[in-house]
Amino acid sequence: MGYLRRNLSLVVGIALLSALGLFVIIGHLVVDTSKSRPLSAPAVQAPSLAHPFGTDRQGRDLFATMVAGTPLTLRIGFIAGMLGVGIGAILGFASAYYRGRLDAVVRGVVDIGLTVPGLLVLILIAVSLRRGLTVNQMAIIVASLAWLNPARTIRAQVLSLRERGYVEVARLSGMSGSEIIVKELMPNLLPYLAATLVNSVSSAILASIGLEVLGLGPIDSPTLGMTLYWVNFNAALINGWWWWWTAPITIILVVFLGLFFLTVGLDEIANPRLRRVI
Amino acid sequence: MTTLLEARHATRIFDGGYFDRTSTLALDDFSLAIDGDRPSIIAVVGESGSGKTTLARLLLGLTSPTQGQILYKGQELQTMSRAVWRAFRRDVQVIFQDPYGVYNPFYRIDHVLTTPIAKFGLAASRAEARASIDGVLRAVGLRPEETLGRFAHQLSGGQRQRIMVARALLLRPRVILADEPVSMVDASLRATILASLRTMNRDLGISIVYITHDLATAYQISDTIVVLYRGSVVEIGDVELVVKRPQHPYTQLLLSSIPLASPERTWMTEKPSTPVAATETIDHGCKFAGRCPSVAASCRESAPSLFQTDRDRAVACYLYRDAPTVTGDHRQPGRSR
Amino acid sequence: MRELTVSYDTPLGAVRAADRISFGLRAGERLGFAGESGSGKSTVALAILRMIQPPGRIEGGEVRLDGVDLLSLADEDMRRVRLARIALIPQGSMNALNPVLRIGDQIIDALRDHEIRMSARERDARVRELLESVGLRSEVAEMFPHELSGGMKQRACIAIAISLRPRVIIADEPTSALDVVVQKQVMETLARVQKDLGASVILVGHDMGLMAQFVDRLGIMYAGRLIEASPVRAILTRSLHPYTRMLIASLPSLEQKGTFNGIPGLIPLLRDLPPGCAFHPRCPDAVDRCRTERPGLREVRPDSWAACHLV
Repeated sequence: MGYLRRNLSLVVGIALLSALGLFVIIGHLVVDTSKSRPLSAPAVQAPSLAHPFGTDRQGRDLFATMVAGTPLTLRIGFIAGMLGVGIGAILGFASAYYRGRLDAVVRGVVDIGLTVPGLLVLILIAVSLRRGLTVNQMAIIVASLAWLNPARTIRAQVLSLRERGYVEVARLSGMSGSEIIVKELMPNLLPYLAATLVNSVSSAILASIGLEVLGLGPIDSPTLGMTLYWVNFNAALINGWWWWWTAPITIILVVFLGLFFLTVGLDEIANPRLRRVI
Repeated sequence: MTTLLEARHATRIFDGGYFDRTSTLALDDFSLAIDGDRPSIIAVVGESGSGKTTLARLLLGLTSPTQGQILYKGQELQTMSRAVWRAFRRDVQVIFQDPYGVYNPFYRIDHVLTTPIAKFGLAASRAEARASIDGVLRAVGLRPEETLGRFAHQLSGGQRQRIMVARALLLRPRVILADEPVSMVDASLRATILASLRTMNRDLGISIVYITHDLATAYQISDTIVVLYRGSVVEIGDVELVVKRPQHPYTQLLLSSIPLASPERTWMTEKPSTPVAATETIDHGCKFAGRCPSVAASCRESAPSLFQTDRDRAVACYLYRDAPTVTGDHRQPGRSR
Repeated sequence: MRELTVSYDTPLGAVRAADRISFGLRAGERLGFAGESGSGKSTVALAILRMIQPPGRIEGGEVRLDGVDLLSLADEDMRRVRLARIALIPQGSMNALNPVLRIGDQIIDALRDHEIRMSARERDARVRELLESVGLRSEVAEMFPHELSGGMKQRACIAIAISLRPRVIIADEPTSALDVVVQKQVMETLARVQKDLGASVILVGHDMGLMAQFVDRLGIMYAGRLIEASPVRAILTRSLHPYTRMLIASLPSLEQKGTFNGIPGLIPLLRDLPPGCAFHPRCPDAVDRCRTERPGLREVRPDSWAACHLV
């Protein structure tokens, strides 16, 4: 508890994300999420008691849309982030620990991959796939690039750890390379891996929203990005339908701020030098 | 005679990076044999940059020689089968210099003791494992109940280093490489660790390769001493001979540089010493020629080979060119058979 | 004749890293402080210069240099005393040289920092003179630290330390990272410049051999306390305190092979010192009095002081 008081960023991050979680849970209890389908409510209504967030032009209740869409967007972020960090960690650990040809290949691919604009590649992938994506397919598309950054940063961390005395002692105690990675190196990088995961999740959410706003997302799912696509498609900004974009943007803001503070807080655990002296 | 561990003309060169053409000769044509039947203590003495740590890593199989071979029971390390490699790992153990970095901060110190037991299948049950851990901890003068279950930062440097000695003992090895085991330990605890090394040698028949920069502890503990200078052996032989009557000018310089805790010896000289050249690249000839007080023209032309000046000693210096050259792969006088 | 008497308490948190240490330093004398890690020897050196960093602080006592109490000086006056009157060669100082400045410029910086005004030509001459006095060629002034070997860097540090002709030079483990051959050259250099300046030297270290060969008088520290202070020859041949005796017996000799006489037990933690004499749990001669009453430092023989009930 004493530590939490000093790591204020971690507390703020957890608080914001918990608030969002509560919104979704309570929302599911009070509203019928099937109202997020088109034609389930009168079109273009400003917020009222019956429709607290208003409705859109296709007749979706925006409160129900937010309650149904927020977990979908987070799901894309988590699946893509997990896949990205998982693949990145395996490649980062293996290439840094074993070095040699594997390392040269991984380093080359990552270096080249990171210079290509990610959104462009994602657009090409999404366009070349057939229409009618599901939320899970969306996550996999985003994950296809999400491993590059984790692979690079984890590799750098492992390179500095592998020269430690305890790694040599483990080798001399008969441990194999994979055991050393899992039992000796991984535990020391856990806070770092957690920070990387949160970071990855937030970049994955950003990438998915970017694709969706361009209309390349799961067209029949009410995700936050798709809602913004409809905002754009119906020119809600020009027509003065402010409630239509206020709700999704507020939620996206809370998601990113929460994840940001969480990363800063985890970074402080992973990197004690940042810890403030009190 | 069975040779347990042997370096045969081992040379290790470190390359610079892609853009750095310079390469460093860390160890130059080094040969040493450790007898399996007669446990001995061999001290390898050298200053920083002498190649002594490279030697330790080569003998441990943590790196491989650029030229020459490292042999375990006559087999080359790089080509050994998995089973022989496992036996090698048990037989050849190590004590490192830094008694803190060898502990994974994530685990309690028990981890370094339980891992080898699990990996080499040293105990049939948990109770048996605990009993052998207790045994080795007591053997190095630690009380198990005061050490187990703690983290490395909760113990003193001396305790941590003794746990590493205990870890090596646990595997019942036949050779222990001790790489500067006491240089980061306080003086009053140093003697305890050295004493346990000697006990291992005498009572358990474990050969010890004691790698150090400190001639005084090397003299106290070893039977045979090897003096390294920039990757090459300059003097090798019986420790009494080398320390009491050093023959190579470098060994003499090294011995006269040690400040001794006896007021009778005067250490400092009044006259300003000649400044040492910071970097001197010698492609051929004796590496010590640039600093040697008795340097001759021939020293700069070719490197001297080892000359056997006594029955139990050889020196790589042209001052002793009249003595017979040491030949063969086993350049280890002293252990006359 | 100058008398420097120090007595103070320094708590690190609630710990006394140096507990009521008193000694006098004579002009031109070489005084040593030896002890193991955590014995407080470096704390003493830093406290003389008032360079104890928080959370540490000087709790009390006084440090007098030529009759002036350094602890009561204003910060600005104290800054002037450092380097000008008392110079420090800190531990690992050769790595404290600025890597992007030439050696000569770093010496000039020290001079300028203390408002020494001289012409460019005078300054260059002084730099050359300083470098030569520590056995470095004058070309070194134009070189960067990475072009020098460890021993040469350490000599450059000595040159900076003596640039203002201090009365006292404090050297904290000046050769701990150097090889023995280079160590000897650096210590010879230090001895020579000390003689030329007529300054006193306080050498802090753990190497008893180095102490034996360099200092005139030696203080032995244990757990933040000064337990023995005597001329070095007396310490080596007829030491008074059991700890000193055992420490000397534990040193490996090059003369004859012997048994290893370690000191059993562990160095006590400063935050958890045993009552009475801090050494009594490890002392073979301890009596009941040692466990309850803390021995004070007293003159047992002329000029030989020890803190032990048994002598």
